[in-house]
Amino acid sequence: MSALNNPVVAVIVSLIVAVGYFAMVDHYLMDMQGLDFWYL
Amino acid sequence: MGLVTRKNLFAIMGLCAMVGLLLLPIVMALPSPAIGEEAPAADAEKKEGDKVEKGRDVYYKTEGIVMGAPAPKTVDGPRDYPRYNFESRVLLWFANQQHLYYGSFVLAVPIFCMIIEFMGVVTKDKALAKRYDQLAYDFIKISLTAYSLTAVLGGILIFTFLTLYPAFFGYLSGIFRPVMHIYALMFVAESGTLYIYYYGWDKMKEGFLKWIHLSMSVVLNIIGTLLMFLANSWIGFMMSPAGVDEQGRFLGNIWHVIHTALWNPLNLHRILGNMAFGGGVVAAYAAYKFLASKTDEDRAHYDWMGYIAMALGVAFLIPLPFAGYWLMREVYAYRQQMGITLMGGLLAWLFIIQATMIGILFLSTNYYLWQAMGRMRGAEKYQRYIKYLVFLLACGYMVFITPHTMVMTPAELKAMGGQQHPVLGNYGVMSAKNGGINVIITTTVLSFVWYMRGNKVSTVSWAKFGNIFMGVFFACAYINIIGLAVYGYYIPANVRVGLSVPQVATTLSCLFFMFALNGVMMKGAKQMGPIEWGKISARSQYALIMLATAFTWMMGLMGYIRSSVRLFWHVNEIMRDNSPWAYTHTVGFAANMISFNVLFFWVSILFVFWLGSLAAKKAPVEAKAGVPGAVPQPAASH
Repeated sequence: MSALNNPVVAVIVSLIVAVGYFAMVDHYLMDMQGLDFWYL
Repeated sequence: MGLVTRKNLFAIMGLCAMVGLLLLPIVMALPSPAIGEEAPAADAEKKEGDKVEKGRDVYYKTEGIVMGAPAPKTVDGPRDYPRYNFESRVLLWFANQQHLYYGSFVLAVPIFCMIIEFMGVVTKDKALAKRYDQLAYDFIKISLTAYSLTAVLGGILIFTFLTLYPAFFGYLSGIFRPVMHIYALMFVAESGTLYIYYYGWDKMKEGFLKWIHLSMSVVLNIIGTLLMFLANSWIGFMMSPAGVDEQGRFLGNIWHVIHTALWNPLNLHRILGNMAFGGGVVAAYAAYKFLASKTDEDRAHYDWMGYIAMALGVAFLIPLPFAGYWLMREVYAYRQQMGITLMGGLLAWLFIIQATMIGILFLSTNYYLWQAMGRMRGAEKYQRYIKYLVFLLACGYMVFITPHTMVMTPAELKAMGGQQHPVLGNYGVMSAKNGGINVIITTTVLSFVWYMRGNKVSTVSWAKFGNIFMGVFFACAYINIIGLAVYGYYIPANVRVGLSVPQVATTLSCLFFMFALNGVMMKGAKQMGPIEWGKISARSQYALIMLATAFTWMMGLMGYIRSSVRLFWHVNEIMRDNSPWAYTHTVGFAANMISFNVLFFWVSILFVFWLGSLAAKKAPVEAKAGVPGAVPQPAASH
């Protein structure tokens, strides 16, 4: 847990989780409507 | 012991009586189809040679046996449109709007009571539980006089309908005949339940009886919600009729008539709207009492009451734009032209006013929360960051209120070569506006998170990681919302329309995940000092009054928009409005009329509050203990 409290590690881990989560939200919620998020 | 058992028995009997009242309308309705509708139909089928006329449902496209008269073809005259020397529509508008304001207030307050009473029952802290209970009691006391006024206004509304629009009201009540008396009986059930709930408060405040009392509030709210659903089915039918053929003849399936295309979106939108409105009104009442308070103790109580009412109201205000978006999507799905009239045509500028009001609501909420941080020690650390939130809110607000087209003269239109303005035509599109409102709501969530951790310091071992994760998550959420808004400019409309869903999901993710994370981090947190209720600026209370007034005005505006989108139809595409007032009012006239309605409502409800304060003065006041200002004390006993 102490490693996670290192600001650099915390930012990197947080970024991976948040970016991954929002990419999934965008992709799957468009997919559920029969639309392609990556259209462009 | 025996007495308690007897009390319990009476309480259970009371609850059973309420459930019986709730089921009464349904039981009463059961014989209705057998006697009133199906029997003649069956007889008709038995008779040889008798021709059974069938019709085709305008919405469901199913066949049904014609069971009613066609919609009357009205003519402008004293038979169909009797009148005073005044515009009938304006009189009806006034009666309807006042009934709706009071109706939504008295439907919302018992839901608040249920939530607050439940919080009191499950809270371990005895003193806090007592305060919650007192607060719930104060809430229901406010609504009791308003409840009588709602019924009076309902009566005035019916007389206005019967006197000024007899042909229309006759047709509508004929179509809804199977459920009209259910509505009336539900009203009886609602009144009975409310009075038992209110007057039984003191008798049922301990142990098992308290749970029975709480159950009564659930029954009360089920009845209230069903009442509203039935009323919504009438306006749903007027906007998007179903269950009738193209002549407006009833086809025997009352469920089709009730369950129109827009019924459920209207139900959801109105429940949330009522709750936000009720919260605003109670918060304004608390703000008024706070400003008029003479003692620190009273100030502490009303500050706390205003905060709870505001928090509950805003909790329902946050999902309200999403429910509104769903309603508009369903309107477009039902009739594209109706959607275009609303958002891109005749009524589009009213939507710009609506966006302005929504922005004011969220700005007022944020301002109140920032001011409220002043009542806790340790929240100073957030003060210097508030300017960045103001920047985010202002940017979101400006994007949200930017119009897409301008009101132009024919000469200007010609000079420009069409409706599309060369600069403005790029802005004010839904993709950008969705981004704007989601930025505003996410910022409000962030303000709430800061408020909730204002006087606390997390003591969990991973506190540093938690704080960084929260910051990164919010930053990524903002980037995702704004990114999706920009992305919408580069993709075709049929793909773009879907982007609203991940945008909403992003905002809601911030709401649920960050509130949950904050809750876990603040469990057992170190307190920098108690929340000093009552130690808040007077400006914050004016923000609460602003919140309530803006919401009242917006309800009036949206009711007008929803009603006027039918244009020259009483019932869309079924029954035409042939009165001299079938035209659509100018934006200026409508705005003045809405302002008059708002002013009338607030003057009348201030009278209701004043009546309530007369009753409170007569009540015996217990000796008040506690440090003034440190913790809120009940203002008066009951």
